[in-house]
Amino acid sequence: MTRKRISRRELLKLAGTGTVVAAAGGLGQGLLLPRNLWAAPPKIKGPVKIGYQAVLSGTLAGYGEFHKMGAVMAVEEINAKGGIAGQKVEMEFRDSTLKPDDAIKNARYFVDSWGADFLAGIDSSGQALALAPVVQQLDRVLMVTHAATEKLTEEMVFKKGIKQIFRICTPTYQDGNAAAFIAKDFPAVKWATVSPKYEYGFTCWKMFQDTLKKLKPGVPFVAESFAPFGTTDFRSHINTILDAKPDGLYSTEWAGELISMVKQGREAGLFEKVKHVIFPVGAAMDVLEGLGKDMPDNIWIAGRYFFLYPNSKTNGEWVARFRKRWNHYPAYVSETGYSSIYAFKAAVEKAGSKDTKAVIQVLEGMSMNSPAGNRVFRKEDHQAIYDVAWGKTKADPKYPFKIMGEMKVIPTTVCYNRPPFEGPGTAPPF
Amino acid sequence: MPDDRVTGRLLRAIAVLAFVAALASVPLFAGKFVIYLAMRVMILGIFALGYNLLLGGTGLLSFGHGAFYAAGAYGLGFFSLHLSPNPLLGVAAGIAAAMLLALLIGFFSVRSTEIYFAMLTLAFGMMVFSLIWNARDITGGDDGLIGIMRESIPLFGGVKISISQDSRYYFLVLFFFLLSFWAVHRIRNSPFGLVLAGIRENAKRTEFAGLAVRNYRLAAFVISGAFAGLAGSLETLLESNARPFMAHWTHSAEPVLVSLLGGIQTLTGPVVGSILFVAMREIVQRFTENWMLWFGIVLLVIIMGFRGGVVGVVRQLADRARGPRGG
Repeated sequence: MTRKRISRRELLKLAGTGTVVAAAGGLGQGLLLPRNLWAAPPKIKGPVKIGYQAVLSGTLAGYGEFHKMGAVMAVEEINAKGGIAGQKVEMEFRDSTLKPDDAIKNARYFVDSWGADFLAGIDSSGQALALAPVVQQLDRVLMVTHAATEKLTEEMVFKKGIKQIFRICTPTYQDGNAAAFIAKDFPAVKWATVSPKYEYGFTCWKMFQDTLKKLKPGVPFVAESFAPFGTTDFRSHINTILDAKPDGLYSTEWAGELISMVKQGREAGLFEKVKHVIFPVGAAMDVLEGLGKDMPDNIWIAGRYFFLYPNSKTNGEWVARFRKRWNHYPAYVSETGYSSIYAFKAAVEKAGSKDTKAVIQVLEGMSMNSPAGNRVFRKEDHQAIYDVAWGKTKADPKYPFKIMGEMKVIPTTVCYNRPPFEGPGTAPPF
Repeated sequence: MPDDRVTGRLLRAIAVLAFVAALASVPLFAGKFVIYLAMRVMILGIFALGYNLLLGGTGLLSFGHGAFYAAGAYGLGFFSLHLSPNPLLGVAAGIAAAMLLALLIGFFSVRSTEIYFAMLTLAFGMMVFSLIWNARDITGGDDGLIGIMRESIPLFGGVKISISQDSRYYFLVLFFFLLSFWAVHRIRNSPFGLVLAGIRENAKRTEFAGLAVRNYRLAAFVISGAFAGLAGSLETLLESNARPFMAHWTHSAEPVLVSLLGGIQTLTGPVVGSILFVAMREIVQRFTENWMLWFGIVLLVIIMGFRGGVVGVVRQLADRARGPRGG
């Protein structure tokens, strides 16, 4: 066996090229990222650590996966381009299990043990409300990406002054108030609802009724049926509705429960008997993909973001990148998760610090471009203001699921409650 | 042999002292998150210690103790939101609420035993859960009671002890934990505790001995409910909220699991079980997002592999090592 030996000369040559290549690499990097070499040294030290929690177990585990896809993609992109203010972004993801005590424990772990600079995520309203005082104590910014309760921003942020909380997704105003603006244009109808039997379902139905009553005085609400969490058999609820003979159905059922309700509704002929149907969170990807062709046509749906709106370059490119990375269309929680990380980036770079107080100051009133369009964090209650689309379901040969045909936008200026959230003129219509 | 007994007692006293000293020094050395976890361990420990008076002590398997935990939590919550924010009075109100509820539910449940008792308590527990869930105007529905503050403890003479910081609140939890441990120890070794053990071993024979078995069972039920109420009110002060899921059967199963884990025949079993339960979950969660699956497997292995719980097995091993000499 002959062993190939490297001569001394060859070795020197190799070493030489190696050095040249290394030097060129260093120079190239320096040229690409002048900030690191010539700009003032960054004021922030160490990596930017983000603790993200969403539901990864139980029947809604799919939601957590969609959160994760969006957030992980943002972190990958940001790190590939030099991080936040020149510092690497680190993210840890935890299962929030939808229970308030687990959310609190996770937040404490993130901040007190892992050393997180920022917190993000949270699916349920109960979790968000329970977490509020803890976040104030931990003194870290929490960007809520899914929980919709208006109490979080109205009471916790505006009235109690817990400034550490921000919400990047749409609140219940979108699901309740805005739905009433869609409903008012329908020919005179009697309304009924099947909604989730917890705070979110009650609140949205009440907002819908209050706003619609003002827009269209005398409109009758004939039946309501509330389905507890974990309902799989909706037949009794559907029958209650059918017995009242309404021609309008409003439902904030979501995820797997909406899928079950629509499938069972089809069997009962619900969509033939009730002409006007509104699902304010029906435009979620898990529902659209889950139902496929079973989603009836001409139903008004919306979400906290829909991948076909806005029709902008930013959004189009993002959806393409997302599909390439994950082989999925982005769900709304993917967009809010993704944009949260970019909101942190923008705020830290503008503040020149990871310090909570400085970041809050920048975030208040901050405007940012995101796949969902331009977002502004309202100063008073830290609610992100951006428009989302409503649309009528229709089939499209390009997609294996129903998409929004005719689209409509109810501007936030029209449908969002306004501070000070009490007294006349604070709830729509204005 | 008297010598052995003296050294045994001495060793036990030293072990207890070392344990208390270790617990008391946690806030001095450990980080914030460890302090928080230690509080969760002690609160779960109180819940399980009280619960085990019923399971290991009297031989009754209850699946409804979450209801008393919730009664303690909501009792403290209502008291502090509407009457007085004094934490000690709040805890007292929580315990009173839990005992009252335990008396009511116990009155109907202790007539049955075994599976019938378990099912009855499960049903009552879920009734309390739905009641809290549905009475939205009073209990806040699924949002629960929020914004319960941890005010200072007023002492005589206008002096106030602040417990708003976790490292200070820790000592209040520690105080109640040690108090509970001591109380359960005393109850187990009292004539009352011996009657309970008699009922566990043979209820018929105890009845023939002229004792009102049902009253004893009810008393044990109410006492264990009081500990659940104490744990619930302490957690509410810690997290500043009370939630309907505290009354859910998934939460009622926790002390059962913890007691089995540590060993139901011993005093320390539930405490060791609580430590294992909280610590293992925390460790598993750091390795995988599918923590529920792995946590379940680990629990399964311990419960099936360690008959009589971890403490039971350790004790057996110790006895075997000492066996030949002790005779």
